[in-house]
Amino acid sequence: MKHVFVFDPDKCCACSACMMGCMDQNDTDLSGGGRCYRQTFDSEIERDGGVYCAYLSAACMHCADAPCIDACPVGCLSKDPETGFTVYDNTNCIGCKSCALACPFGAPRYRRDGGKMVKCDGCNIRVKNGLQPACVRACSFGALTCMTEEDYAADGSGKACSALIDALTLRRK
Amino acid sequence: MKKIAIIGFGCAGYHAAREVRRLDPKAVIDVYSDTETAAYNPMLTTYYVKGAIPYQAMFPFGAPQEAAGRLGLNLFPNRAVTGLKPEERALCFGDGTQQVYDGILISTGASAVVPPLPGLDLPGVFKMRTVEDAVSFKAALDGGTIRRALVIGASWVGIKAVEDLVLRGIACTLADGAERVFSTAVFPETARRIERGLEARGVSVACGQMLDHVERAADGALAAVMQSGRRFEADAVAVCLGVRTNTGFLKDCGIAVNRGVLTDCHMQTNYEGIYAAGDCCEAADIQTNAPRNIGLWHNAARQGTVAGSNMAGDVREFGANLLVNLGHYLGYSFVSMGDLTACRPEDEVLISEDSRFYLCAVRGGRSAQMHQRDRDAGVQRSHQERFYQVHRKSWGGAGSPDRLLAAAAGVSCELYQLFRRETA
Repeated sequence: MKHVFVFDPDKCCACSACMMGCMDQNDTDLSGGGRCYRQTFDSEIERDGGVYCAYLSAACMHCADAPCIDACPVGCLSKDPETGFTVYDNTNCIGCKSCALACPFGAPRYRRDGGKMVKCDGCNIRVKNGLQPACVRACSFGALTCMTEEDYAADGSGKACSALIDALTLRRK
Repeated sequence: MKKIAIIGFGCAGYHAAREVRRLDPKAVIDVYSDTETAAYNPMLTTYYVKGAIPYQAMFPFGAPQEAAGRLGLNLFPNRAVTGLKPEERALCFGDGTQQVYDGILISTGASAVVPPLPGLDLPGVFKMRTVEDAVSFKAALDGGTIRRALVIGASWVGIKAVEDLVLRGIACTLADGAERVFSTAVFPETARRIERGLEARGVSVACGQMLDHVERAADGALAAVMQSGRRFEADAVAVCLGVRTNTGFLKDCGIAVNRGVLTDCHMQTNYEGIYAAGDCCEAADIQTNAPRNIGLWHNAARQGTVAGSNMAGDVREFGANLLVNLGHYLGYSFVSMGDLTACRPEDEVLISEDSRFYLCAVRGGRSAQMHQRDRDAGVQRSHQERFYQVHRKSWGGAGSPDRLLAAAAGVSCELYQLFRRETA
């Protein structure tokens, strides 16, 4: 059953709890130069005499037609047929960064320690076992949810991941 | 029932076959290959020589029979297609037989250029393209008898060969015919930085040296003699002079071929039902709007998928063909998008530098370049620099996705904004 991340920009305040959940789940080593797979953004922009703001939480979008999969020369990346997440096995990763270059969002990260690519896998193992992704579980405001495509289609709220694009348009503070 | 032929079972051929099968479970897909080797990525051969990946990792799709079984293909290994009759959509074979198809994909790839100069067939002279090349180069290096080596051609493969040698402690010279390394791919200042970086690692760089011939020196070593008369003696010579498309079998058959097989946005050639994809073709370059042969793994995958989709009857277009270079060697990373040769002399080159990045951009939306280095990396990493060339189109878009990309690459927000302002 394919899963989608749904982001509601109206409920996000960029508190970064999702990042804490992500880093805890993935044992991200910040002191060793590691970076969280999920990033929050809190942008305030002055324009036309007003201050506008945009709050955003972003990680791998798990694109249906993910360019990183084709770009990887070693075939590290693939789609999990069960969850639909873009997953990876970096055993043969040569650290060439082709995936990061192909990704419109820069989701794949390069881990200096070991010289291999890592990325958000949607907490694939958690979801397969009926749990929520760590970032979703950590979100106190319900801004980030993960649901099956069927539930998403039935939900009808129109709050797709593409609502991220809406989050990028400016809203008056 | 559709009958599809795929000539060449590399990255483009595999992706086309997979797409045809996905869209048309009943189609007959015949795949012809002039080898029985599995589809491999030429880019990985130097990584295999380095020891970064095991032998099997060069074959992302597994054994050919395995891939054929998975996708339901009729695989004909060691059966080279020797000619094409485009009006009849017929393939011709060496034994005089022909086969007619509804759709044909030409995905024959490219081969290493070996100029017809004396001595290039001597033992100890290597080219770097195929799995066989990599195996013999690795065996020679692992043998421990090579003390000094010469790499001819500052190509992206050439610089990887240099890395393979340096990491084994083999004294190495990099020679190139042009006045500077990567003369068509990087800004002159970037080329000088690359040269300085190589020299700091003990590599001797000799530019402006065109090879005349290779001969056996008196002591049994090889000697590469340049047109200038200069001699380079070495135990091994790696020839990395670029690649040539495998299109010889199409000569005079009517299929339009320039450097590669010319294709339209559907990856179709000048004959309906006959497609080309991958390293053997030319597709529209979004920077110059002219057809261009850009041999990249990602391009081959996308072009093959588009061609497969069209052969199966689901019309799709190939959207983006842009020159991209990725080079990683000796702790350096080089990434570029866009083609410097499309820049005009009057284009203004903007340069910006901080503790981590060195940026070059060409005003006018033609090309841009970014170069990154780590100041805080300490002595051991003092030569670790990363070069980026970024085509402005990919950098100056709607905003945040670019910024996410920049953040992922480690570009500071301030520098990103500076860059945006300067190239806006």
